[in-house]
Amino acid sequence: MQTQVNQKSNDIIITEGLGKSVVTSEGILHILASIDLIIKSGESIAIIGESGSGKSTLISLLAGLDTPSYGSITLNGKSLTNMTEDGRATVRNALIGFVFQSFQLLPGLTALENVMLPLELSGDKNARIAATALLHRVGLSHRLSHTSKQLSGGEQQRVALARAFVTKPAILFADEPTGNLDSKTGKTIIDLLFELNLENKTTLILVTHDHNLASLCDRTIQLNAGLIV
Amino acid sequence: MSRFNLALRLLWRDSRSGELTILIIALIIAVTSSTAIAIFSDRLQRTMSNQSAEFLAADLVISSPAPISTDWLTKAKQLNLAQASTAEFSSVLIEHDELLLAGIKAVSAYYPLRGFLKTTKEDYLTETITNGGPEQGTVWLEKRILSALKLKLGDPLTVGEKQLTITRIITYEPDKKGDFYSFSPRVMINLTDLQATGIIQPGSQVRYFFQFSGEVPALTEFKQWVKPQLNPSQRTLDIHEDRPELGSALNRADRYLGLSSILVILISGVAIAMATRRYTERHFNATALLRCLGCKQNEILWLYSSQFIVLGIVASALGCLLGWFAQEALFHLLKELLPQQIAKSGLLAISFGFIVGMVTLTGFALPPLLRLKHVSPLRVLRRELEPLPTSAWLIYGFSIGLIGLLIWKYTNDIKMTTAILVVGMLTLLVLGLLIYVLLILARQLLPSMSLPWRFGLQGLLKNSPASISQILAFSITLVAMVISFTVRTDLIDNWQKQLPDNAPNHFALNIFPNQQAAFKQELQEKNINESQFFPVVKGRLVEINNTPVQKFVTKDTQGENATNRELSLTWAKELPEDNKIVAGNWWISQQIGLVSIEKKLADNLKIKLGDLLTFTVGNQQMNATVTSIRELRWDTMKPNFYMVFSPGSLDNYPSTFITSFYLPETQKNILNTLIKKFPATTILEVDLILRQFKKILTQLTQAINYLLYFALMAGFTVLFAAVYATLDNRIYEGALMRTLGAKKSFLRKTHIIEFSALGLISGLLAVAVSEAIIYALYTRVLAIEYQPSLYLWAIIPFIGILFIGIAGCWGVRHILNKSPLLVLRDL
Repeated sequence: MQTQVNQKSNDIIITEGLGKSVVTSEGILHILASIDLIIKSGESIAIIGESGSGKSTLISLLAGLDTPSYGSITLNGKSLTNMTEDGRATVRNALIGFVFQSFQLLPGLTALENVMLPLELSGDKNARIAATALLHRVGLSHRLSHTSKQLSGGEQQRVALARAFVTKPAILFADEPTGNLDSKTGKTIIDLLFELNLENKTTLILVTHDHNLASLCDRTIQLNAGLIV
Repeated sequence: MSRFNLALRLLWRDSRSGELTILIIALIIAVTSSTAIAIFSDRLQRTMSNQSAEFLAADLVISSPAPISTDWLTKAKQLNLAQASTAEFSSVLIEHDELLLAGIKAVSAYYPLRGFLKTTKEDYLTETITNGGPEQGTVWLEKRILSALKLKLGDPLTVGEKQLTITRIITYEPDKKGDFYSFSPRVMINLTDLQATGIIQPGSQVRYFFQFSGEVPALTEFKQWVKPQLNPSQRTLDIHEDRPELGSALNRADRYLGLSSILVILISGVAIAMATRRYTERHFNATALLRCLGCKQNEILWLYSSQFIVLGIVASALGCLLGWFAQEALFHLLKELLPQQIAKSGLLAISFGFIVGMVTLTGFALPPLLRLKHVSPLRVLRRELEPLPTSAWLIYGFSIGLIGLLIWKYTNDIKMTTAILVVGMLTLLVLGLLIYVLLILARQLLPSMSLPWRFGLQGLLKNSPASISQILAFSITLVAMVISFTVRTDLIDNWQKQLPDNAPNHFALNIFPNQQAAFKQELQEKNINESQFFPVVKGRLVEINNTPVQKFVTKDTQGENATNRELSLTWAKELPEDNKIVAGNWWISQQIGLVSIEKKLADNLKIKLGDLLTFTVGNQQMNATVTSIRELRWDTMKPNFYMVFSPGSLDNYPSTFITSFYLPETQKNILNTLIKKFPATTILEVDLILRQFKKILTQLTQAINYLLYFALMAGFTVLFAAVYATLDNRIYEGALMRTLGAKKSFLRKTHIIEFSALGLISGLLAVAVSEAIIYALYTRVLAIEYQPSLYLWAIIPFIGILFIGIAGCWGVRHILNKSPLLVLRDL
C-alpha cells in the first residue's frame, strides 16, 4: 500500500505551540511545552534527551496516540487536534509505522501473521504476499511460521521492522529500537532500519539515548524538561 | 487471515495456554445443569401432560367416584363411540405373611382404547405390546410386587376375596397418573372379577374412569351433552382441555430443580466474570498494540466478542451434550416416581441450555470485556495506563437482569420473581457484609500471629471482594445441601419421635356398617385398643352462603386442597378427643344440619360461625350451618375431620367407618386374619406409608442434591478463577520470598492456611445460615421440634477445610515449582 503524501507541501509533520500538561496535587505539571516543529517528508529525525525529558510524550502526540493539552498537530495535511480516537486510529493505520523497544509482537501469532496484521486491519487482500516478501527482505524467510517465543530478540525486532514497513508508512516512529538488544545485534537492526527507510523514503522519527545512533539521522531534536533546547 | 481468522487464532492460543480454561469449565457447568433441567422438565411435562390420547388411554374420560348413569353409556353408543372403563382403588395384599399396599386397577374389555400396555413374562427382553388387559381369573402386576410378596409368575394372588393367577408382569401402562396413589405398585385385574373381590361396596373409596374414543364431532357432541349433567365430584378429561396435571410433589421438585439450576448459573457466572476480568487484564497490552496499528474501538470489541461467541458456542454445545447425559441420570434417580415410558424431549428444551449458555456468557463476560474497548493506544509506551473499569451498574444490572429472567422462566410469576430477586440480593448483601466484617476482624489478629499464619491469612485478606465471592459461592451451596438433607431426615424422624408410644399405627378404612360391630369385636378379642369408630360419608364442599366455594379459594392453599377433592364428612355426638372448641359451642340438642369446622380451613376459606355451607354427596345436595370452630392435632394418628356434623345430619347417605389402632411389630400377623375376614376393609399401615413417603422424599432430595453438586463444582470454578486472578502476583511474591530464603515448605504452609481458612469460614457460615433457616422453617412452617445439629458444626467446616484446602493448594501448586530466577528474570 503506497501512502499518498501531501503533494502541495513537503512538510509531513507540523506542530504549533504543542504542549501537554497534567494536573497534580501540587498544581499543573507541564510535561511538554510550546513545541513548534516542521518535519519534511523523507527526513530522519532523532529525538534525544534524559529520562523524563518528554521524548515519549512527544512521539505519542506526533503519532496520535495521545491528545495535546494545547497547540496543534498536522500530519500529512490533516489536523489531528480535533480528531476522535477512531479517526486517529485510521490515520495511524494509513500513515504510520511503529518499532518499539520491547518488539511488541502478538505472542500467539507467527512471524508471518504478525507482519500481515496491519495490512489485514486495513483490508488488504495481498497481505500474505507483501508480508512474505518483506520477511524475506529482513532475512527471515526461513522463520515465517515461528511464533515470537521461538525467535531470538534480534529476530523479533526484525519481524517488528517488517511489520512496521509492510504498510509502506509515510512516517515511522522508532522508540529505542535497540534498547533491548546487545550492541552487535543492535547495529544490524539499525542498519536494516536505515536501509528500509531509504528504500521506502519514509520519514523516520527515532527516539534514543544513544548519541551515535542519533548522529545517523538528518536532524537531532534535544529535549530537556519538556522544551526543545 | 481475515479478522475473524485472527480472532480464532487468538482464541486458539488463549485456550491452549489455559487462559480460558476456568471460563470454559464454568460455562459448561452452567449449560450442563440448565440443559439437564430444561430437558428434564420438558420431558416430564410432555410425559405427564402430553396432549396425546395415549396418555388418557382414550380420547375422552369421565372420572367419577361412582358408576355413571347408563343413559350416558347409551348416548355414547348411539354416537358410535367406543367404550371401556377402569376402576382404581388401594388395597392391601397379603401373601406369605408379607403385606403390601397396592394400587388395584380393574379394567374392562377394550381397555386401553388408545395406546397400549407393555407386559413381559420373565425379563424385560421379552416385553410384548398388548392392546387389552388381563383375562378373567388372571392378574397382571408390577415386578416389585413379586419380590415384595415372595411370588412368581403362575402363583395365585388373592385380591380381596378373589383368588387370581399371576400371568404377566406390567412394564408400561399408558394412563398411569402422577399422583401419590400411583406410586403404589400396580395390580391389574379384569373388571368382571371386581365384584367377586368383595372390595367394592357402597361408600368404598374408589375412582371410576369411563373412557370413550371415536370421531371428533361425535366426541364433541357427547362432551357437550354430558358436561352439564356432571356433578361436582365428576370431571371430564380430554386431550384438548382438562389435562391431567403433574403430581404436586413432582411439580414442586421441578420448580426447585429449576431454581437450583439458577444457583448453578449464578455461581458459574461469578467464575465467568472473574475469569473474564483476568483475561481482559492480560490482554491490555495486545489491545494497545492493535489500537496502535489502527484498530478502531468497535473493531477491538468485535475481535474479542467474536472470540467469546465462538467459545460460547463450543462450550454451550458441549454443555448441552453433557446436560443430555445428566438428565438421563436424573430420570434414573427418580425412576420409581415416574412413568416408565418417558416422552422424548423437544428441540426447544435442548436449545434452551444453549441459549442459557450464550446469555450467561453475555451477561457475565461482556461487562468486563467492554473494558478492552477503552484501552488507550498510548499503553504501548506507558504500560501503567489502565482503562477505566466498566460501570458497576452495567456489570450488576446485566447479571441481575439475566438471573431475574431465568427465575421468571421457572416461576412464571412476576411477583415471586421480584420477591426471590429482592430477598436473594438482600441475603447476598447481608452475608457479604458479614464476611467482610469477619475478614476485618481477622485482619486485627494478624500482628499477633506467626509468620506463616500472617502470610496465609493475608492471601485471603488482600483481595476481599474475591474472597467474599468465594466464601459466598461455597457457603450458599453448602446451605442448600445441608437444608435439603436435614429437613428430609428431620421431617420423618421428628414425626415418628413425636408420636406417643402406642400411638395408633394402622388405619382401617371402608368398614361397612354391618361389619362394624364384628370388626370391633375382632379387635377386642385380640386385645387391640382401637380409637373411636367414626362414620365417613364422602362429600364435597361447593358453596359458602350460596356463593361457589371457588371464589374463596386462593392457589396452593389448604382451602384449595380441601375443595378440590371429596372430603371425609363425619358426625359425632360428643366432641372428638384431642379436639378443642375455639369459637361457638358444641351441640347439645338433637338438631340436625349443624356442622363444626376445623379452624385452619375456616380461616383459609373465611368461614365464620353462622355461615351456611352447601355440600354435595353423590348426586344430592345438603346444607349445614356452622355452629363451632375446632382446633385439632393432625399428628395424633387418630381419625381427624375438617367437618363434623351433628348426629342425624348425614343419615340419608351411604357411609363406612374408619378407626385407627396400635399393633406392635410382633403382632403384625393379626392383619392377615383381619384382611381375610373383612376383605372390603382397607388397612393402611402407617409405617409402610411413612417408608414410602421417605423413599419419595429421599428421591426428590437426591435429585435436588444432584443439581447442587453442579453448584458445588461451580463453586470450585470460582475458587480457581480467584486463584488464577492473583496467580501472577502470587508467583512473583513466591519467587521473591524464595529469593529471600523462604523454603518450599513455608510457602506450602501459607497456602494450606489460606485455603483452609477459606473453607473454615465458608463451612461455619453455611452451618450458621442453615441453622437459622431450619429454625425458621421448623418453628414457623413445618411445626416440628427444632434442635441444633451439633454434628453439623463439626462436619461442614471440616468438609470445607478439607475440600477447599486441597483444591486451593492444587490451584497454586505451580508457584512452588517455579524457579525464582526464571520468574524474576521474566519481570
